[in-house]
Amino acid sequence: MAQTRLDRSEQINGWAFVMPALVLLGLFMIYPIIWSLWMSFQVGRGANFSFGGLANIQRLANDALLIKALTNTTIFFFIQVPIMIVLALLLAVALNDPTLKFRGLFRTALFLPCVTSLIAYSSLFKSMFSTDGIINQALLTLHVIGSPIPWLTDPFWSRVVIITAITWRWTGYNMIFYLAALQNVDKSIYEAARIDGIPAWARFTRITIPMLKPVILFTTILSTIGTLQLFDEVNNITQGGPGNATLTLSMYIYNLTFRMMPSFGYSATVSWVIVVIVAILSFIQFMIARDRRRAT
Amino acid sequence: MSLALLRRGGVYVFLSVATFLSVFPFYWMAVGSTNQSPDIVRGKLGFGSNLLVNFQHLMTQVDLPRVFGNSFLIAVVSTVLTLVISSLAGYGFEMFRSRIRERIFQLLLLLLSIPFAALMVPLFVMISRAQLNNTFTAVILPGIASIFIVFYFRQATKAFPRELRDAARVDGLKEWQIFLFVYMPTMRSTYAAATIIIFMNAWNNYLWPLIVLQTPDNKTITLVISTLTAAYTPDYGVILLATVLATAPTLVIFFVLQRQFVQGMLGAVK
Amino acid sequence: MTSLSLKGVRKSYGNLPVIKGVDLTVESREFVVFVGPSGCGKSTLLRMIAGLESITAGDLEIGGKRMNDVDPSKRGIAMVFQSYALYPHMTVRENMGFALRFAGKPKDEIARQVNEAARILELGPLLDRLPAQLSGGQRQRVAIGRAIVRHPDVFLFDEPLSNLDAELRVHMRIELARLHRELQATIIYVTHDQVEAMTLADKIVVLREGEVAQVGTPLQLYDDPDNLFVAGFIGSPKMNFLAGEVVEAGAGSATVALVNHGGARLAKPLSGPLPETGDAVTIGIRPEHFGEAGASTDLSLAVDVAEHLGSTTFVYANAGGERLIIEREERHMGDSDTIAVSIPVEAALLFDAAGKRLR
Repeated sequence: MAQTRLDRSEQINGWAFVMPALVLLGLFMIYPIIWSLWMSFQVGRGANFSFGGLANIQRLANDALLIKALTNTTIFFFIQVPIMIVLALLLAVALNDPTLKFRGLFRTALFLPCVTSLIAYSSLFKSMFSTDGIINQALLTLHVIGSPIPWLTDPFWSRVVIITAITWRWTGYNMIFYLAALQNVDKSIYEAARIDGIPAWARFTRITIPMLKPVILFTTILSTIGTLQLFDEVNNITQGGPGNATLTLSMYIYNLTFRMMPSFGYSATVSWVIVVIVAILSFIQFMIARDRRRAT
Repeated sequence: MSLALLRRGGVYVFLSVATFLSVFPFYWMAVGSTNQSPDIVRGKLGFGSNLLVNFQHLMTQVDLPRVFGNSFLIAVVSTVLTLVISSLAGYGFEMFRSRIRERIFQLLLLLLSIPFAALMVPLFVMISRAQLNNTFTAVILPGIASIFIVFYFRQATKAFPRELRDAARVDGLKEWQIFLFVYMPTMRSTYAAATIIIFMNAWNNYLWPLIVLQTPDNKTITLVISTLTAAYTPDYGVILLATVLATAPTLVIFFVLQRQFVQGMLGAVK
Repeated sequence: MTSLSLKGVRKSYGNLPVIKGVDLTVESREFVVFVGPSGCGKSTLLRMIAGLESITAGDLEIGGKRMNDVDPSKRGIAMVFQSYALYPHMTVRENMGFALRFAGKPKDEIARQVNEAARILELGPLLDRLPAQLSGGQRQRVAIGRAIVRHPDVFLFDEPLSNLDAELRVHMRIELARLHRELQATIIYVTHDQVEAMTLADKIVVLREGEVAQVGTPLQLYDDPDNLFVAGFIGSPKMNFLAGEVVEAGAGSATVALVNHGGARLAKPLSGPLPETGDAVTIGIRPEHFGEAGASTDLSLAVDVAEHLGSTTFVYANAGGERLIIEREERHMGDSDTIAVSIPVEAALLFDAAGKRLR
């Protein structure tokens, strides 16, 4: 098929419009990631590095701090993400009722945390969770606890603070996604279910949740990537401590690169660890969704 | 019937508690900015009279106008450049289809899942070699080709009526003129929503500016807050005041443009 | 099957009344159609029967029991929605069996019911498909199937054919009539389409602004409307209405002068109360009832447009600003001709100034 002048013009224009973005992406995303892959095989400090083969990968296996960071990130992931998603779902369902009073007010209030910068709210939480701070005082007054909790100085509790902080910041965000998806649902499906005699809890679990599966998957993937990249909060509230109890992968890479004697090769290797993990997790999540659909 | 009432009541309680928990830190922030640090740490709930003192301390420790100006400059430039480059690409991908470019687009979607942590090391080395350390250019440049925004504009362009473009072509407009004079005015609300997202991101950005910017004169407001918080004995009155100031712009934008804010987020999903 | 009755049923949203007192009986096995223009309250009334909307005043009884406060799932009803409301993540089989699973029926019983409904509706080969893979008509049948398996006392249909294209609508109308016979079901059906009402109903309830305008069989409503509204609503093309003034009334008849047609007069025998001389009345005459000129009430009209449909011709004519539609069998009517017709007294209907029928 001969190329007409219109075809050629289409092609030229097509490339012209996307070129600037592609060039920049190539420069600032593709090139770095490939460079990073190459760097992960280099050993040495600072500007002196040389090819080290699989030395960095061996180092991975023996790196106690890395294991610590991985463990922490895993803990955060498995505890924080499910709590947040369930909470966001419940809130979205509660807000989806058109007869609810103050609906707009609730929705605005619940979304407000998403407006804060990660640094800002980290500072906030740090000041609230000090040992004689407002949180402890409130809990003491309500007789929930007998003595103040050492939030920021105890490994277990510092993790709780981080998880609480992240949940506070991001639940509203996910809630909005679910709310939008819910509003796209044909209301008469719920009416049909009511007439069919399906009780409320079953309407939620057997109808709402399956219909929301695509958006739940989407937010889970977003949350996964977010958790794996956790940096701002841990850097500011707990500085990765106490005793590296809240050290995350991103923070570890940052420390390797900027705080300790810079070992760029090894940093790159650890970075690739994250890429691989994200890829695997996303793949798994995708496959789960696809299989469930086939099984129905 | 009373079961239904009970459930209704439960819903209101649930939402009210959640709302309180969501909003309390903002109150805390406002209150804290008027109190002394020891009081804050001890959990004082009421307003104090330390606002001016905190403000003075903040001004002595930090060149506030400068820092605000830095954040603002970076945010505005980032927004403008990102809008231009990413909307051009989103428009291009959607309007001029070709097999190769579709594949490229799919590749881009894959790239979305690359975490920043994987890029920050090589990016840092790159800008060091280019001797762009501590410059705003280095802060802004890597972010302006935002895959997310490209994707967002492509989705939005699907709703752009092709007939407009065809009519413009018949009228003799060239493609770049069509983009400038037909597309951009029509897609105003998309641009508005995207502006909010990009501006917010740039204003709140922490990790990359942390890596790039070294001298106090060049720091952004987020870096300043972080430094203040990391001090051995943090002065929370000052910190919370700085937080209020840093959060105020986004809060204002949020309340004024609430609908676009939410729409911006949702547009990305579908 | 069970009968259903509404006694003095009202509904208001705050101070706004939407249903203003409806009295109605639906006999067992009857196909009753609620019809009326948008906003007349027909869907609201149906949803009140279903239990999806509350009843402000009055009584709803199904099978002799008062159902005002009973949960929808316990009223013995099943509903087919305009948008079908199928569960998108379940197969056809699962959609139809979902309610039964929650009623605690054993698996083989559920399978039996579902298969039976599938047989009636010819859904056999589609049982394992998802709703997204079905056409509009097929989804419609699944929605009906979901209602059938519950063996309700009353079937409720809310504008089920509105989302289908014209040809499919005709086909489904026949299907619904067949279902009614086969299932011997009591059906309440809501539509804004008077053709559906005329073809499907045993009894039509015409609703207007929250009130019943008339209840009757299709032909009763067609031949003997109670008021101007029903007369104009039923029948397509619409009944013609001519402005008239009573010139003489007495001895069981009224003579009316047609205002826009020169000296034409109509003398109509009436058995009920007579109008006063000088009263304004409306004369209704259906397009197919006009007679040849030369009889009693002659009109001469200018033709605007003649639509030739093949078997009939619709002539749009006017005189004195009043527009009429005349149905004819001739084909050779041109535009800008004149046409002369007459109004036969037996076919003419008389309505008073308030729209009430004078008999």
